[in-house]
Amino acid sequence: MTILEMNHISKSFGGAKALSDVHLSIEKGEIHALLGENGAGKSTLMNILTGVIPADEGTITFLGKQYPSPTIQQMEAAGIAFVHQELNVINDLSVSDNIFLCREIKTKFGLIDQKEQLKRTRQLFEDLGVDMNPSAMVSELKASEKQLLEICRALYADAQLLILDEPTTSLSNNEIDHLFGILRRLKEQGKSFIFISHKMPEVFAISDRYTVLRNGEFVAEAEGFIRDTDPHAITSFMVGKQYVDTEVYQPRPLGDVVLKLEGFTGEGFEDINLEAKRGEIIAFTGLAGCGASELMQTMFGVLPSTGGTFSVYGKPLQGPVVSFMKNSVAMLPSNRKENSVVPDMSILENFYLAEHEISKRKKPFINTKEELARYSAQKEALRIKAGNSSDSISSLSGGNQQKVFLARWLNIGADILLFDNPTQGVDVGAKEEIYKLILDFAQQGKTVIINTLEIPEIQKVADRCVVFYEGKIVKIFDHSEVNEHNVMMYSTNAIETTREGSSHE
Amino acid sequence: MNNNSFGKKLGRVWSQYSYIFVLLIIMIGYAFTIHSNGNTFKFSHIAAILGSQNTCIVGTIALGMAFVIITGQIDLSVGSSLVLCTGVTIVVFNLTDNVFLMILAALATGALCGLINGLLVGLGKMPPFVVTLGTMLIYRSLTLSVVRKVDPAISGSSSSQFAMISKKANYQFLRMQFGTGKLKFGTFSIPYIFFVFLLVAIILIIVSRKTKYGKSVYAVGSNEKSARLAGINVTWVKISVFVLTGVLVGIASILQACKIGNVTPASSGQSYEMYAIASVVLAGVSMAGGKGNMLGVIFGALSYTTINFIIVSIPGLSVDIQDTFQGLVLIIVILIQTAGPAIKESFQRSRKRRLASAKAE
Repeated sequence: MTILEMNHISKSFGGAKALSDVHLSIEKGEIHALLGENGAGKSTLMNILTGVIPADEGTITFLGKQYPSPTIQQMEAAGIAFVHQELNVINDLSVSDNIFLCREIKTKFGLIDQKEQLKRTRQLFEDLGVDMNPSAMVSELKASEKQLLEICRALYADAQLLILDEPTTSLSNNEIDHLFGILRRLKEQGKSFIFISHKMPEVFAISDRYTVLRNGEFVAEAEGFIRDTDPHAITSFMVGKQYVDTEVYQPRPLGDVVLKLEGFTGEGFEDINLEAKRGEIIAFTGLAGCGASELMQTMFGVLPSTGGTFSVYGKPLQGPVVSFMKNSVAMLPSNRKENSVVPDMSILENFYLAEHEISKRKKPFINTKEELARYSAQKEALRIKAGNSSDSISSLSGGNQQKVFLARWLNIGADILLFDNPTQGVDVGAKEEIYKLILDFAQQGKTVIINTLEIPEIQKVADRCVVFYEGKIVKIFDHSEVNEHNVMMYSTNAIETTREGSSHE
Repeated sequence: MNNNSFGKKLGRVWSQYSYIFVLLIIMIGYAFTIHSNGNTFKFSHIAAILGSQNTCIVGTIALGMAFVIITGQIDLSVGSSLVLCTGVTIVVFNLTDNVFLMILAALATGALCGLINGLLVGLGKMPPFVVTLGTMLIYRSLTLSVVRKVDPAISGSSSSQFAMISKKANYQFLRMQFGTGKLKFGTFSIPYIFFVFLLVAIILIIVSRKTKYGKSVYAVGSNEKSARLAGINVTWVKISVFVLTGVLVGIASILQACKIGNVTPASSGQSYEMYAIASVVLAGVSMAGGKGNMLGVIFGALSYTTINFIIVSIPGLSVDIQDTFQGLVLIIVILIQTAGPAIKESFQRSRKRRLASAKAE
């Protein structure tokens, strides 16, 4: 029996088409994988389904009833629950308090009837086969238990269809098995799930059917039973034929090894061994949470390393951020607004802040004339489009802000440049410019490492591409071997699944 | 259109220099009160404001408080450390009769008080509010417990107070010439201690604007994470502003000793932390950190003193009700400062919405 039908769904934001003519149908008692790259439109589709945003076109039918303009409350009442990636549970309340949050059972005096709530929670857990103490504090639960708690909360509210948005990102393998066991049991009880995940092994372990979205479009041939397909085919559906617009990449002669990681270990990654040469551009990639970003932050002293060495020009580096800077390492952090921008300061101030930490001992006073000269030189070299240097940093577009921060690091004379997701929140034109700059830096003999999820980006600039999976390097590709399919195979660990599959046969 | 751009300009000047307008308005209010008392508003009234302990002593402390607040922290211990520092300063004077040693003792004690705060906050990773609340109690109570046990020949007083001994050779110079003396310009005269405050203020204005350290203080308060990722040693900056405040409390304790001549641990410097915070707020420094002009603190301190003077000069107003008026004025000023931009923003937002809907149609 089909419980959900979404037909001809289209949605545009401004001029950009996020979804066009998308279909999705869910059967009763199935786990349905919704697949696609970042930005393929999965979240938009789910937001439409749960009433967060309205669709421009299309129809939604759930349990035989049409919802022309669904609201969040309506869809919740109808029995659709969204279990978010970030856990929406309240740590300072007990398990049962969380389940009854906003629908508390009250005594005749208007107080919460703890006894009754605990009793019903216990009953619920028994029915679902969940082994959890209803009176435990949520802060003491494991991540998987919190995930389960959210699912139980939705089920208590009599949800028929649960959307699980990358439910396993914060879970260990054992916890994932536990979660999957419960999902299978719930499925037999007739509950349906939409399962969003980037991890191929999990998709193949748990899902019954799948739907693939690509650039906001429904991939017609990519819908069916998981048992009839394989990770290779699905990866191809997700990637499609990628159109690489302008070819800017040029190989250049590389110099000596300048950067070395030996058994480097820290929070989120372990035993990393890698060398980089003068003038080389290396891309780190992998799924969110694969450890590449943490590695980069540890290579700049932001996070502590717990083992191994990171050396630049043969000198092992450690200590606070500034000591990395003094050894010509610079990092452009991800999430510009949170980690780069000093919002109350001008463009010039944002520019010179880092350099001061190196020069302040010898020259404690600011020489505005000198600073302006240095800024103008960088502004020209990086083609920063900005008005007055005393304007607020927030007056600039994302791309130009990012260029100011590139300038910040060039200004300290760094020649090991670590860029964590440098084109995040930057429009297409500015992206191209940043790629050109990265290639220029390499041409000038700087070593650049970029961490990115976007494979076309890697194809444009990187000499080598290092793929991470769960904190380890799983594969290093040369420039010519980099394509969406190859990288996806390794970053989703589909390669392992395929190998296991074929060895069984 | 013309009207609009004038309004915009006025808005910008107001938000940038609000502290000047605030002082002007309060000054006018003061002149008005004096007149209604049947007197004429003269330069001597202004000179009294300049030389008041609220301007010079609290003002000097407020300069440090501003740095602390700009980094997004708070220091509640300054009133108590002032008492502790002044106690030490007076004792050192009474023992040595040496101006240099007295100054050194004042600055060192202040710096130590600040360092303790800073280390607890910076290295102990505890919230500044709680840490300085604790040291506020400790610093005063230590001074209080010592004062009764000290020989009157050293404390300079038989009651529970530290007082400078008038028989010492440098007493005349410190108290009569410096502490309560005035620099005369023809018919005008301005107390010397105001110049100390002014000098300290000018130095700190330069530090805040022209030094790399000053910029890092603002950066830490504006976005701590970005500051750290730009290589700034955030912990060190946070500790340093407490030490700086301590040194300024040390300077303030010298002014207290020279102007007043004594300190009573049980009652002196009571609520000075609140007065200092009030001055900083009147100066337009954001309590959220990252924003504020050190020049404003001079005006903030003067505004605060003037408010006091107005209240005192209103006949029939009992001393007991004074704090109520001070509190009210403070709230009103802040309301204007924070509500102004908020109203502007909501206005802009509604206009943007109108434009967007017009476009959609």
